[in-house]
Amino acid sequence: MTVIAVEHLSKWYGQVSGLNDVTVSVPPGITGLLGPNGAGKSTFMKLITGQLKPSKGSVRVLGEPIWGNPAIYRRIGFCPEQDAFYDRMTGLDWVTALVRLSGVSAADAQGVAGRALEAVDLVDAGGKKIGAYSKGMRQRVKLAQAIALDPELLILDEPLNGMDPIMRRRTIELIRTWARAGRSVLVSSHVLHEIEALTANILMINNGRIVAEGNVHQIRELIDEHPHTVLIRAQESRALARALLADEGVVSIKLETGALVIETARPDAFYTRLTEMAARGETGTIDEVTSLDDNLQAVFKYLVKS
Amino acid sequence: MSESSLPVAARPAVAAPPAPSLWNAVARVFDLSLGQMIWSRRTIFMAVVLGAPIVLAIVVRIVDASGVTPLRVNGQRVGGTTIFGVLLWWLYLRFVVPVLGVFYGTALIADEVEDKTITYLFTRPVARRAVLIGKYLAYVVCTSLVVLPSIMIVFFLVVPLRDIGPSFLTLLTDLGLLAFGLAVYGALFALVGTVLKRPLVVGLVFAFGWEQVAMLMPGYLRQFTIVYYLQGLVPHAIPSDGITSLLASVFNDAPSAATCLFWLAFILIAALLIAARAIERREYVLGQ
Repeated sequence: MTVIAVEHLSKWYGQVSGLNDVTVSVPPGITGLLGPNGAGKSTFMKLITGQLKPSKGSVRVLGEPIWGNPAIYRRIGFCPEQDAFYDRMTGLDWVTALVRLSGVSAADAQGVAGRALEAVDLVDAGGKKIGAYSKGMRQRVKLAQAIALDPELLILDEPLNGMDPIMRRRTIELIRTWARAGRSVLVSSHVLHEIEALTANILMINNGRIVAEGNVHQIRELIDEHPHTVLIRAQESRALARALLADEGVVSIKLETGALVIETARPDAFYTRLTEMAARGETGTIDEVTSLDDNLQAVFKYLVKS
Repeated sequence: MSESSLPVAARPAVAAPPAPSLWNAVARVFDLSLGQMIWSRRTIFMAVVLGAPIVLAIVVRIVDASGVTPLRVNGQRVGGTTIFGVLLWWLYLRFVVPVLGVFYGTALIADEVEDKTITYLFTRPVARRAVLIGKYLAYVVCTSLVVLPSIMIVFFLVVPLRDIGPSFLTLLTDLGLLAFGLAVYGALFALVGTVLKRPLVVGLVFAFGWEQVAMLMPGYLRQFTIVYYLQGLVPHAIPSDGITSLLASVFNDAPSAATCLFWLAFILIAALLIAARAIERREYVLGQ
């Protein structure tokens, strides 16, 4: 069975090609869409969520065409990449309104929204305006609106971007639990380690083409040869910098206002250590972790050449 | 995310609710949009702007009550009812209504695209035209809530007490016509906002370029404006005293009220139908 079937899919923006003759089948379970910024991930995501019309080729999601077929959205939850909200609404009101748009009655919508916020650990902040949320909270409320109605297919566009390490780990657990319950998930990222934590099944995209499909572990060794750059926003950034200096994989640390930019040669070990430090709270609260990396680009160049 | 909450995904799948019908979806989009619109900076700004005629009316009232020589034009006293008519026509119908139509109508979809929130609406099991119509109805209600109270306050301040009774029915009619004017302009500019990339510029050119010029041109060109038909519905408000008689003569070929109503309703329905068709087919590429 195929969850998403794409055949000879191309998308042009005027003279610019966003996606070029892509044919791929996404199986049930978790699939990671991996590619550097500008590789065509967003175009692919917009095409398979029916936001864009293919210039050529076809897209079928859960066996149905997606473009011009709003009924299919009853079965899909989508968490877009953009950090865009109705900032004056509270998280609970926003999720409730979107749940209502999916057909849930007014009487039930708030309960459904509340459970979704509970799932992403935002119950306490549900009554606050989204404009006052941190980046990580905004990511979580976006996730809440996507999972609220237990869709058969969850499409997540860079869902972990900006989350702190603990929330990142919990969100990964949530997505994995989701898949174990028989749902399917397509998750995009430009960070291999995020995808690797979720699934071994990946699609690699670069320059608007799928350059590889299959097991994530085969490219893992390649990517680890390249340093990894991470931006961390923390309340005690200097203390965090001192603690991380002891990490032997760290190549460089640059202090910015309220943030650190760290280059590490051992990203796996680095993320594990960072999560442990955040859990212990020994260096204060870590608000946001964002991969600045385009180091995948180097791997893609290698793959394309070979 | 507490451990206890993790089984959310493992709950027995809730049967997906049936997609709402078109009008049910319209009502839900309306609910969502009205609150957003009423408390938007745009609405607050317009509410402040619409305070200006109220201030003017207060001044008129104070002058009238103080026994100072009343306002005269060409030696003739200008009464409160006439002043109200002038404000209704020149300020509200010729300026405020088109301005609101342009700024809100063109923004119905364009704002959602610019703010990148359109994704949440277009990835729900509702037809895109329901999004457009729901937001359009929210616009009509929101702008009416801003404009109509302002007119009522001006009316009660400017029109002498003895004239309020006889004029009150006319006031109610005028309020209805203003709301209708808002609806027609809003529908036209919703269409512009749905199909064009720079809808605001086009809207402003139409409302404050084309409509102004066409109304001064002899011949049939004025029939391609909205204001031409609106004037036929408020003949009592169009100034006809000495100083403005020249300008009033420009409008002396106003069609009958029935003709005006027909064409305004036609413009409204046609614009909404075309916009609804366009939004179903058009791609909205969000900036990165």
